[in-house]
Amino acid sequence: MRTHQLLTIASVCLLLTAVTSAQTAIKPASGQSLSVAASPVSVDHLLNGGPAVWNQIAAKHVALNRTPPLYDTDEPAAVEIPVVDVRLARAGGKLIVQLSWRDATHDATTLTEVPNTPPETRFLKVPTDADDRFFDAAAVMFPAKADAGAIAPSLQMGDAEHPVEIYYWNGTRGSMVMQAQGRSTTKRTGQNFPSSGIYQNGRWNVTFELPDLAAGTTVAFAVWNGSQKDRDGRKYFSVWQVLE
Amino acid sequence: MSRHQYAMVMDLNKCLGCQTCTIACKKLWTDRDGTGYMYWNNVETRPGLGYPRQWDRIGGGWKDGSLQPSPLPTMDDYGHAWEYNYEQRLYEGKRQPVMPSPEPKSGCNWDEDVGGMNADANYFFYLPRICNHCTYPACLEACPRKAIYKREEDGIVVIDQDRCQGYRYCIKACPYKKIYFNEVTGKSEKCIFCYPRLEKGEVNACAAQCPGRLRFVGLLDDPESPVHKLVLVHKIALPLFPEKGTQPNVFYVPPFNPPKIGNYGKSIQEDPRVPLDYLTYLFGPEVRDVITRLEAELKKQQEGGRSEALQLLIGRDAETRYRIRPQLVQIQV
Repeated sequence: MRTHQLLTIASVCLLLTAVTSAQTAIKPASGQSLSVAASPVSVDHLLNGGPAVWNQIAAKHVALNRTPPLYDTDEPAAVEIPVVDVRLARAGGKLIVQLSWRDATHDATTLTEVPNTPPETRFLKVPTDADDRFFDAAAVMFPAKADAGAIAPSLQMGDAEHPVEIYYWNGTRGSMVMQAQGRSTTKRTGQNFPSSGIYQNGRWNVTFELPDLAAGTTVAFAVWNGSQKDRDGRKYFSVWQVLE
Repeated sequence: MSRHQYAMVMDLNKCLGCQTCTIACKKLWTDRDGTGYMYWNNVETRPGLGYPRQWDRIGGGWKDGSLQPSPLPTMDDYGHAWEYNYEQRLYEGKRQPVMPSPEPKSGCNWDEDVGGMNADANYFFYLPRICNHCTYPACLEACPRKAIYKREEDGIVVIDQDRCQGYRYCIKACPYKKIYFNEVTGKSEKCIFCYPRLEKGEVNACAAQCPGRLRFVGLLDDPESPVHKLVLVHKIALPLFPEKGTQPNVFYVPPFNPPKIGNYGKSIQEDPRVPLDYLTYLFGPEVRDVITRLEAELKKQQEGGRSEALQLLIGRDAETRYRIRPQLVQIQV
C-alpha cells in the first residue's frame, strides 16, 4: 500500500513537473484514447436515462490523480477516488459525457430557493444554513479552439496560447460554463449547460451535454469531493485523453 | 502598500456595548439574503469567547512570512440567525410566548458582560470589531482567485464579488475572522469600510451612529487627521494582536483607568482592575507604554494643565473625530 502511494505521489510530481515546465503538453498517445459511441437514443434520454441506457456503452476507467497540497496551510488529503468511469455518446449533434465515480459521502444539498422579490421588501430573508460545507462536483475541460496540431493546452487550466473551456457541474449549484487560459484565470461565462447528477448506492453518475467535439480533441476530467473540503485546485484530475 | 490609508481609532474607555454601530452596519450592508448571521461590525465582551467563538485562538495570519493554518468557524460558532414566531402569536392566536427559532446558542456578543475575575473582582470591557483593512492582508494573499484587493487610493480591502468563487481560504487566513461566507450567493463578504460613504465625504455608518463618540476616522498619512495624531503623534492607540503580522489599520485606545472598589486614584499599573497580562495578550507588550502615556496625560489635565491627547479623545464634535477627504484620495483618470 505504502509503495503504491509513493509511486502515485512520484508519478503525480513527475507529471506536474512536466506540465509546469513545458506549460503545454504533447498530445497523449493512443493508450489514452476514448471511444465515442454513436447513440441510437436521444439527448434527453441520455441525460435523464439511468443505467439501462448507459450500460449499453462501454466505460473507460480513467485514472484520477490528487493534486499535491497547493498551499502551506492545506490539510493533507488521502486518495479516496482513484478512478472515474467515462462513457461518451454522440446524439443530436451533441457530445454527451457521463462521469461515474464511487464516493462514500453524498455532499450535495438543495438550497432554499430565493424569492424573486427584493430582500428589502421582505421581512424574512433566506438564511445561510452552513458556512463550512463543500459540495461534490465534476468538470470536463477541452481546448477552446479546435486544434489538430500536436500540442495540447497546459493541464493547469490551459495557457495563454491555448485557452480552454471548462464545463463544471456542482451537486448543489448546478452547471456552469467557464473559460480559462492558465491557472487562476478561470472565469464564469454566465452560461450553463444541460446536465444531470444522480447519487445512488455510493456512486455519482453525472451527465454533461457538451458541444460536439471532433475526433482528435483532447479532453480532461476533474472530480471534487466535498467531504475532503475540495474546491479550487484541491481536487482529483485526469491527464489529457483523446477522443477517437 | 497603498498611496493612502484610511484608518479608525476606537477608544475602549468610552464603549458602552450598546451595539448601535452593529445595527447601523447591519441595516446598511447585511440586511440581505444569506447575511442574517453576519455582523461586519460587532461588539464583544472581553475577556470572552468572541464572535465567532474563539476566533482569537484558532489561527490565521502570518508567521515568518508564511500564512498560518486555521479551521473554518462553523455556524454554531457564529450563531445562527434566528427569527420569532410572531405569526403564531399575533395572527393565529396561539397562546404561546414569542420565542426565537432556532434556539439561540451563540451570537455576536453571546457572553455579554460575563468577563473574567481578577482576584475577587470582576472585570470586563467591550471590544468593537470591524475588518482591520490590514497593510499586509492575509486574506488577499490566501485568495487563489485574486478576488481580494487593497484599493490603491485609500488602502481599503475589498472582495470582488464577480471574481470570488467562495473557496473560503480568506476566512481561514484572516486572524480576526472578519470575512463571512454567504451560502446563498456562494461568495464571501466583509466590511468595506463604508467606502461609498467616504467617497461622498460621509464618515462610516458605525462611527456616525456611535452614541459614545468613541470612533475616530481619517487617513493615517494625513498629519491633520485625528487617527494620525492618536496613533503616530500621541502614540496612545494600538492594533489588536500585532503579532499576527498583518499590520491592522484599526487601532484601540486601551482601557486604562477603570475604578475598583477601594482603589480610587490608583493607577492601573499599581492596582489593576483589568489585568495587564490580558491587555498585553490583546495589544502586545507596548500596551504598558501606552498606559503610562495615558496616565501621564490624565495627570497633566488633573493638575490644571492641558492635554492635547485627552482633549482629542473627548472628541466633542464630528470635525474633531473625523477627517474624510475624498478629494485627497481620488484617483485622477
